[in-house]
Amino acid sequence: MNGTESNAPVAAVAAPAVKLKLTQVSKTYPNGAQAAVALDPVNLEIREGEFVILFGPSGCGKSTLLNIIAGFEDVTGGEITLDGTPVEGPHHDRLMMFQEHGLFPWLDVIQNVMFGLRRQFRFKPRARRARAREFLQMVHLGEFEKSRVHELSGGMKQRVALARALAPDPKVLLVDEPFGALDALTRAKLYGDLQEIHQRTRKTIILVTHDAREAACLGDRVLVFSGAPGRVKAEITISLPRPRDINDPAVGECAAGIMAQLEA
Amino acid sequence: MRIPQYKIKYYVLGFYVLLLAAWQALYWAQLMPDFLFPSPRQVAQRLWELTTDDYLWPSVKATFKRMGIGFSIAASIGLLVGLAMGLSRVVNGCLRSLFLGVQTLPTAAWVPFSLLIFGLSDHGIYFVIIMSSAPAVALATSDGIQHIPVIYLRVARTLGTPAYAMPVRVILPASLPGVVTGMKLGWTLAWHGGVSAELIKSTIGLGFLLQMGRELNDAAQVIGIMVLTVLFGLALDRFVFGLIQKRILAHSGLAPRSPG
Repeated sequence: MNGTESNAPVAAVAAPAVKLKLTQVSKTYPNGAQAAVALDPVNLEIREGEFVILFGPSGCGKSTLLNIIAGFEDVTGGEITLDGTPVEGPHHDRLMMFQEHGLFPWLDVIQNVMFGLRRQFRFKPRARRARAREFLQMVHLGEFEKSRVHELSGGMKQRVALARALAPDPKVLLVDEPFGALDALTRAKLYGDLQEIHQRTRKTIILVTHDAREAACLGDRVLVFSGAPGRVKAEITISLPRPRDINDPAVGECAAGIMAQLEA
Repeated sequence: MRIPQYKIKYYVLGFYVLLLAAWQALYWAQLMPDFLFPSPRQVAQRLWELTTDDYLWPSVKATFKRMGIGFSIAASIGLLVGLAMGLSRVVNGCLRSLFLGVQTLPTAAWVPFSLLIFGLSDHGIYFVIIMSSAPAVALATSDGIQHIPVIYLRVARTLGTPAYAMPVRVILPASLPGVVTGMKLGWTLAWHGGVSAELIKSTIGLGFLLQMGRELNDAAQVIGIMVLTVLFGLALDRFVFGLIQKRILAHSGLAPRSPG
């Protein structure tokens, strides 16, 4: 909480390597005679530990890009590399967290968090429960490990989903408007949690949102998308100290700057 | 005026008392001879005689044994075929139309065919039970799978679940509520088919006792066994499958823990 002194963006403190690299990534949907361009070629470098926001109105291709990175959609052209290796298809090294929590109701909370550890042989069976517990504690739900999913509130469910996404130690965490369905108070708390977790784990995070304040509050860097066809219109670096409060006037000012870029 | 919930059961009780009274009144009216239209008391008495003559219990046991074996086979086949239908659009397209067609057959309509193929052996009864209920289980299972929220599949994939592990880890548990509904329906149809087959093919069982009653012109026995068949079917549906269904739904958070 010594935020007043460090004015530099966190990502610039170390000299981090490029984690995820997109080269001329584009997406076209075949649509009868003419094809609909969802995404103009995008070039993007995301460094280790960076918190990048894809911001824009609905239909601007930001979610398409996230789905492409997650491997749920194929690219029409271009290449994606993670740590220098080309990637394709869904994999837990590019783990996605969705707007719907998608917790499995037939499992209890800790089993949900352990779900992604099953296929990873680097986590020994006996260590999995301990690891899941560790991440549940990180989202402040340590004492709910035996609860059923339907017993949790909306915010708690989303926090379990966050723990589940972090536990397999993804190289990049992809987050698709995860707070859209929550009330403002719950959301404010989650912004704090997410920043704290980012600080602690130094995880590379890409988050999609259409909320400029959310973008300003969470991001090291905001990519502003415009629609039809989707493309990156502007790039804004945010160097406000962390942790940031969504209600901080400085964040509001930053959000206004982001909006101005969108409308420019 | 709205009647409070706790009082409904008294109305239901009253309804059945009235039903019995109407039956008794019809009996007293003597529209038909005794042996064709017995009184409730005569029916109860005949059932008691069947019990003390050691006819009833062996038959009930025989019917339940057949149902147990037949339905277990039918449910397993239905589950596997339903899973295949849920996973493959081609399999689904082919079998769904076939099963929907087959389901329009009354379960008893399988009996003549099974007589031709299996003669009077118990295998024919199993055959009727399986043909009656396996398609319903398969259809319900594949419906259950097709209605799985897409988010579960996406989450499982992003968490690194390989395709071969999906059925066991995600698809079956997620479709369990639909599967259990299908099992319940399948049980009812199996019960229909099994008792129908016993009418013609057996020397023991509830269906056999029905048929024996008809041959002896004993309406009291026919009615008594019908009532018993209803009660057994109902008890299993309510208490066995109903409770399993409630447990599973409550466990998965898809229904409230206590009915209300």
